[in-house]
Amino acid sequence: MRKEIIVVGGGASGLAAALAAKKEGRDVLLIEREDRLGGILNQCIHNGFGLQVFKEEYTGPEYADKYIQEFLQSDIPYYLDTTVTNVDKLDDGFEITFSSTKTGMKKIQADALIMSTGCYERTRGSIIMPGDRPYGVITAGSAQRYLNIDGYMVGKNVFILGSGDIGLIMARRMHLEGANVLGVAELMPYSNGLTRNIVQCLNDFDIPLFLSHTVTQVNANKNQRLESIIIQQVDKSFKPIEGTEKKFEVDTLLLSIGLIPDITLLDNLEVEKDNRTKSVKINQSYQTSVPGIFICGNSLQVHDLVDNVSLESERAGKCASKYVLSKKIERKTVNIIAGNNLLFVTPHYIDFASEAKNVVFQFRSKTKIAKSMLKISQKDNEIKSKRINYVVPAEMESISIPLEEFNDLDDVVLDLEVL
Amino acid sequence: MYDYVVIGAGIVGSFIARELSKYDLKALVVEKENDVANVQTLANSAILHSGHNPKPNTLKSRLCLLGNKMYNDVEKELNIQILRSGAFVVAHGESEEKQLAELVETTKQNNVTEYELLSYEEAVKTEPNLAKSVTQVLSLPTTGVIYPWEVAFACMENAIVNGVEFRKNAEVTNLIKDSGTFKITINDKDIVESKYVINATGVNTDDIAEMLEKHVDFKITPRKGEYFVLDKRVKGFVNHVLYPLPTNKGKGVLLTPQVHGNILVGPDSKFVDDKYRTDNTNSGLGYVKENASLLADNIPFNQIIRSFAGIRATSTKEDFIIEESKEIKGLYHTAGIDSPGLTAAPAIAEYLVNEIMMVQDKYDTSKDFDPIRKKLPEFHSLPEEKQRELIKQDSRYANIICKCEKITEKEIVDAINGPLGSNSIKGIKKRTRAGAGLCQGGYCEEKVYKLIARETNSSPLDIVYDSQKSNLFVSETKVKK
Repeated sequence: MRKEIIVVGGGASGLAAALAAKKEGRDVLLIEREDRLGGILNQCIHNGFGLQVFKEEYTGPEYADKYIQEFLQSDIPYYLDTTVTNVDKLDDGFEITFSSTKTGMKKIQADALIMSTGCYERTRGSIIMPGDRPYGVITAGSAQRYLNIDGYMVGKNVFILGSGDIGLIMARRMHLEGANVLGVAELMPYSNGLTRNIVQCLNDFDIPLFLSHTVTQVNANKNQRLESIIIQQVDKSFKPIEGTEKKFEVDTLLLSIGLIPDITLLDNLEVEKDNRTKSVKINQSYQTSVPGIFICGNSLQVHDLVDNVSLESERAGKCASKYVLSKKIERKTVNIIAGNNLLFVTPHYIDFASEAKNVVFQFRSKTKIAKSMLKISQKDNEIKSKRINYVVPAEMESISIPLEEFNDLDDVVLDLEVL
Repeated sequence: MYDYVVIGAGIVGSFIARELSKYDLKALVVEKENDVANVQTLANSAILHSGHNPKPNTLKSRLCLLGNKMYNDVEKELNIQILRSGAFVVAHGESEEKQLAELVETTKQNNVTEYELLSYEEAVKTEPNLAKSVTQVLSLPTTGVIYPWEVAFACMENAIVNGVEFRKNAEVTNLIKDSGTFKITINDKDIVESKYVINATGVNTDDIAEMLEKHVDFKITPRKGEYFVLDKRVKGFVNHVLYPLPTNKGKGVLLTPQVHGNILVGPDSKFVDDKYRTDNTNSGLGYVKENASLLADNIPFNQIIRSFAGIRATSTKEDFIIEESKEIKGLYHTAGIDSPGLTAAPAIAEYLVNEIMMVQDKYDTSKDFDPIRKKLPEFHSLPEEKQRELIKQDSRYANIICKCEKITEKEIVDAINGPLGSNSIKGIKKRTRAGAGLCQGGYCEEKVYKLIARETNSSPLDIVYDSQKSNLFVSETKVKK
């Protein structure tokens, strides 16, 4: 069996990409690992979704449903409860292996793949957190799933490490479910969550936020359940300051310490990686360094707003469709470089043979800047400058520039200057 | 009345149980934890040492060498995995090369016949990331790596199939000997009786001995070791076990390729007061990081997926203590089993059973003993044809539960229901590796707890992470109620 495009993942990103490709007339198949479409939105029962795309505020499941209904009406074939286990590159496309109880193990070929595989949560293992290793130290997203989908509370007395959005949302959610939420600690001197979440999830419920603090000790009881934690203030180099210890007796420590794009399916292919986004490099049409493999959504870069995921994935779906028709892979590229004060920028290069005639830059700043000037330049040639007020690492910025404004010789540099 | 009660189901207790199951006798193994292999066997370097390092003419020296060889049969009979990696002991510069020469002498005295001194240039050919500061290595090709939990499970499972009884969550709270019979109190209530008792309780061997003996002549002085685990994506970063030169504190911080492709970095070695506390510390992990860099250059520390600590049951005596109690006839100790205990374990069991307890003189060999433990398929490592065959037999093999390690529903169901089945998240992880990968259970813990609930017909509120009281959930939510 062969398809023009296979979309891996049926969350916000996969749904939008598949729909866009279908609208372009492509023959699409979508594969989803869980037993329902919608991905992580299904467990995000709070509101705040859709303001950009629908100009209305929805909950996660409501937002997902908008796309799911359209998807179901579009008659795009899809598999649920199905895991893609392997991706092989062929001379003229790809062969993926997938597996489910219903289908058994199957192989299917495609001209192009769209990876919309989302991200996974950083766990305790990826940071050094001294102390015992009891049960009760759980990633915030897992706890959210247990709470909102399965209907179980993971604890009664809760502390949260990391002020990412999931951590903030879970602080409120656990509080509303009757848990005693004792505080949120954030290593950085500023929060990593959206401002509205700080206000609506912490301030409104008098949950204290400890900036420049981290957990420095985890203690278990004799049943291997979390009993208490100690947090400490950190100095500018993130070293704990002696004498600032605060002890909290909690049975649950939720970790909201970052998300990592899930690109494990590309492990066997030689795809150029970006250490900053922890994903792969792309050109302005969301194509990776392996022609025919496209990537979008949180598997490309971790977004703070789902609306941006949908819009980005729609663009990726269109680009993949055009690729399938043209199969253009002659490459004349220039690099895009994240310059001053930028944590990262996507895309990573401009491909002048690509059919995407606009370059949508998405980037995050390294620090909070009250007044800044974004400058996009090639050598001495300034292509665009734009004043941006109040940039923070927690909020991804974007700007779109027509392809024709760039020359095909010099690296493109983005700088964020403090005014 | 049992003939033998073995206290402790770590790797030593498990090998002893299997050794006893070769005879016509009634044996029981009691374990205080909710699983086999849950303390010292849970957290260690997993190495089959060649026998180069112990002090010559000790039990450690003799049983390590023998144990290493015995694992060849263990591999065939119990169908366990051994990574035959070989090892390099590295030296930096002249003075360390002198110490390496001394180690070669020890190696010879310990009757390790396969060894070779290599220059940096020779060694780097098979170990490309070897630290450039290394000048010479001692190659020890008989060194291997096992998956200690799997070995313990395999032994205990085989022992159970051959008639040994096993009770978990059974802590010995009192031990007396009354008119020639041992009375063993379990969890302060049940009493079981036995003719002989074997104390294989790792860090608790002195506590158990003290229940009966007036003057216990050894004391456990626990030593903690901390480790990092690197994701299996780093497979091939090192091919051999890399040792620094041994010191009086032990074998030092190592780089150890694991059976499943991960790499262990560690351990440090610290005497600790609390034998139950295996916490990680900044100083311990910092020490590990710093010292590992003497072995290899550019260690991919960005691929750390977990840190952990283990406890070694080091005793006040230098050597293994494998003997009948000096005060109480019929009570046997296997104490002070720190490194190379894992390697020596099959030899310790055989030595205890045949040379100390002389079981062969007291009981007939069992005619029904079946040495073979059938291994259930490890689905993801099979060739595709075989995988398709299995799916045809049981479609649950096509349902991938743990995405990172590619573990299927059927494998998890088997781990729940097998002769040594487990109903804890950690027990399933130890048996199948579900949750041992990159996301550390972020994706699959939810699916695993539901499978446990389904298979054991219990409420999710009763599912535990490890011990019987480590419940995943404290209550239902308001909506659910």
